[in-house]
Amino acid sequence: MTNPFRLSRRHLVAPAAVLAAATALAGCSSSSGTEATVSASSTPAAAQDVVFAIKEDPTCLDPQQTSMTTSLNIGRQLTDSLLDQDPATGDIVPWLASDWSVNDDATAYTFTLRDGVTFSDGTPLTSEVVAENFDAIMALGSSASLASAYLAGYTGTDVTSETEFTVNFSAPNVQFAQGATTMSLGILSADTVAASAEDRCQSVVGTGPFVLDSYTVNDSVKIVKRDGYDWGSELRGHTGEAYLDSVTFPIITEASVRTGGLESGEYDLIQDVPYIDESRFSGDAFHLYAAANPGVPNSFVINTTHGLMGDEAVRQAITKSLDRDQINVLTGSASGQAPTSVLTSSTPGYTDLGDTLAYDPEGAAALLEADGWTLGSDGIYQKDGQTLTFTVTAFYAQDVLEAAQMQLADNGIDMQINMVSAGDFFGAIASGDYDALGAGLTRTDPDVLRVLLSVDSASRWGIVDDPELESLLQEQAATVDTDARQAIVDQIQQLVAEKAYVIPALETVQLHASSANVEGLTFDSAARINLYDAMVVG
Amino acid sequence: MRSAGRLHRAGPLVRFVAPKVLQCLFVVWATYTVTFLLIHALPGDPVLAALAVRAGDAATTDPAVLDALRAQYGLDGSLVHQYVAHFVALFRGDLGVSMATGYEVSDMVARALPRTAAVAVLALVLGFVGALGFTIAAYLARPRWLRSAVSQIPPLGIAIPAFLTGVVLISLLSFQLGWFPASGADGFASTVMPAVTLSLPTGAIFYQVFSAAVFEAGDAGFVRTAQAKGLSQPVVIGRHILRNAVLPSITIIGLQIGYLAGGTAVVETVFSRDGIGRITVDAVLARDINVVTGVVMVVAAIYAVTTLVVDLLYGVLDPRIRTRVAATRAPRPVVLEGADPA
Repeated sequence: MTNPFRLSRRHLVAPAAVLAAATALAGCSSSSGTEATVSASSTPAAAQDVVFAIKEDPTCLDPQQTSMTTSLNIGRQLTDSLLDQDPATGDIVPWLASDWSVNDDATAYTFTLRDGVTFSDGTPLTSEVVAENFDAIMALGSSASLASAYLAGYTGTDVTSETEFTVNFSAPNVQFAQGATTMSLGILSADTVAASAEDRCQSVVGTGPFVLDSYTVNDSVKIVKRDGYDWGSELRGHTGEAYLDSVTFPIITEASVRTGGLESGEYDLIQDVPYIDESRFSGDAFHLYAAANPGVPNSFVINTTHGLMGDEAVRQAITKSLDRDQINVLTGSASGQAPTSVLTSSTPGYTDLGDTLAYDPEGAAALLEADGWTLGSDGIYQKDGQTLTFTVTAFYAQDVLEAAQMQLADNGIDMQINMVSAGDFFGAIASGDYDALGAGLTRTDPDVLRVLLSVDSASRWGIVDDPELESLLQEQAATVDTDARQAIVDQIQQLVAEKAYVIPALETVQLHASSANVEGLTFDSAARINLYDAMVVG
Repeated sequence: MRSAGRLHRAGPLVRFVAPKVLQCLFVVWATYTVTFLLIHALPGDPVLAALAVRAGDAATTDPAVLDALRAQYGLDGSLVHQYVAHFVALFRGDLGVSMATGYEVSDMVARALPRTAAVAVLALVLGFVGALGFTIAAYLARPRWLRSAVSQIPPLGIAIPAFLTGVVLISLLSFQLGWFPASGADGFASTVMPAVTLSLPTGAIFYQVFSAAVFEAGDAGFVRTAQAKGLSQPVVIGRHILRNAVLPSITIIGLQIGYLAGGTAVVETVFSRDGIGRITVDAVLARDINVVTGVVMVVAAIYAVTTLVVDLLYGVLDPRIRTRVAATRAPRPVVLEGADPA
């Protein structure tokens, strides 16, 4: 089997290719890209126990409360969701709900539960439990910020029978269908949702293919196979129980210890391979797993009411002065690609705007000169005694900012970097005191642009006064028809990219690695890990 | 006035102990005050920092939610109110709740402290024994060039960063030889490599103090007297030299604990161990002020109590002080160190 990660980068990052790569990794000869099965030629090893080194303490294991990737990667194995989403096509398919429908204005979703599903404590999955889950998320409020955002406008769940119920919203909520595929809205047992927020962080009971065995804070997490599991979605590569008997997640904070441990065989899988170590694991002895975070790429998110950022020509000059391919080469993963829209290429609804976002220094210069800017003696544009400068506030990925800073300086634009702590980053958002924020926002639905930019978003990052954009953002959130919604989402991406309200810099890639004898690790549509099809081969 | 009389009778002991206890309490209070001022002088909002840890990019900046969280974690009200309220709570043993993780700080400390203590104590023992060995070896080494060569080895321990030592030990002893686990805090085996890593700088400091004292004692008149009496080399070293050199080493144990509190942060990160150091690093990064205050106070208390115990030990170990304390009405003649203890 050739290593799929020696294929060209361009092929790898498209979601279809990620899945196809996973398929190829699993040794499957099928090229359909929808099955990630372990091949017939692979023989399962006698021991199906793996050690998966993770990079940080998950802090809270409850997938409804946490937004931390490390924690969600574990939570995904313990919980199932009502629906599942094909990362290749964005199609939403049944999972715990065998059937579902939505009314015309997306204010009521009716589900029918699959028969015979039980939680690992033996209790059955019923409409009542699902209703309790959603009610509990609303009660958690800010402790479950991501899950409650998916339930925006939730007014209650009508239980019509043991297996049928309707989830109601006060306003159209199109992104709920996608939200229902995430582990943030994963369904937990009645006892779990009745427990306190703190207790739920330590122990959760779900219907998933694995069961939590132990969690020792700052040390390790262990999960074991759920006996009798037989309700994976159609997107999974096999049916029945998971292949792995147990997965132990030691918490290894030091990246060099994780990579060294994978090389020496201490760990079978490791989370977050530093991009710089990628080539060490590209040989036949290892598998690399890469998936671009869906949502908004790592970008400059603009506050048009601050500094020079209200000047459209300036913003457009900045976006034209960025050579995104070079930024990707300098700071990205070898498996990644430069962003070509204000949504990443792995986000459902993504539209290729490579032309709008092309590197065009001449165009940038022409725009600025038409706007009255002239190059000063220090190589930076000036107008009326004012220097063309702006500041990006960020709390991670300083290397990306530095690469952009260098390119902008070459094109006469001075960019200042303001690296702050995570708390101060959100402090800046709260006070509105920034020219631009340097960050990405991970979500699996194009609605992420509304969350980022709309005036009605509780914690918007971009501050934009554009009635046309605002009405489009609201319209997509209320359009149930997929094609009609896609047309609006296309318009939004074009508008946001063209007016440079969001200036993309890099598609961040989740990069994990395993030894060659572990196969079948797959990503869900949010680039989180699914271990159900994973297997140790002999 | 009976109590005053009792106090007078207990005079020398009280006069010896009381100032030291007061000093110990002062250190704890001063640490609290400085920590409180530093934390509140830092810019930024700890509630937002904690939210950023828990909610990632979905963190809310809704002022109503932030105010509610501020009240929940005792961060509302004036600074004076918070200063007093937290200090009173500390004396009740209530260290508050971690904003980033939701755990009780006292639980976190109780969980982590024994693990850190295991590493620190083993590192102290290894460092002390190593320093002792090198000191004796250097003292006995002949000729002079060999002695200086031996003397140059221990300072390497402080010159090599603990981070580097740790990573080298992991790749050699864990990944290559498989003798010790690379991570975790499970059992004695997991304690060895972190303790060895920390014992190098600790031992180097012990060695500096210890060897200086030994060489000084070695030149003292009472050692020449002992040698002249025909006592064997081990007896001279054991009874006369080491006994006199041990006092300054004990003095720096307090300082070493201060160093170990910082050093464990490095080894606990490299060896992925749960412990005080790692909790502190995480808490500082997350602006988790209840945890930072709690950990600093616990470490300060340990440091202050250790210093107190060391000071009191002087009274037992140093005959000059012992007799001064033991003397009640009529001070007896002081027995000077160096008078033949044999």
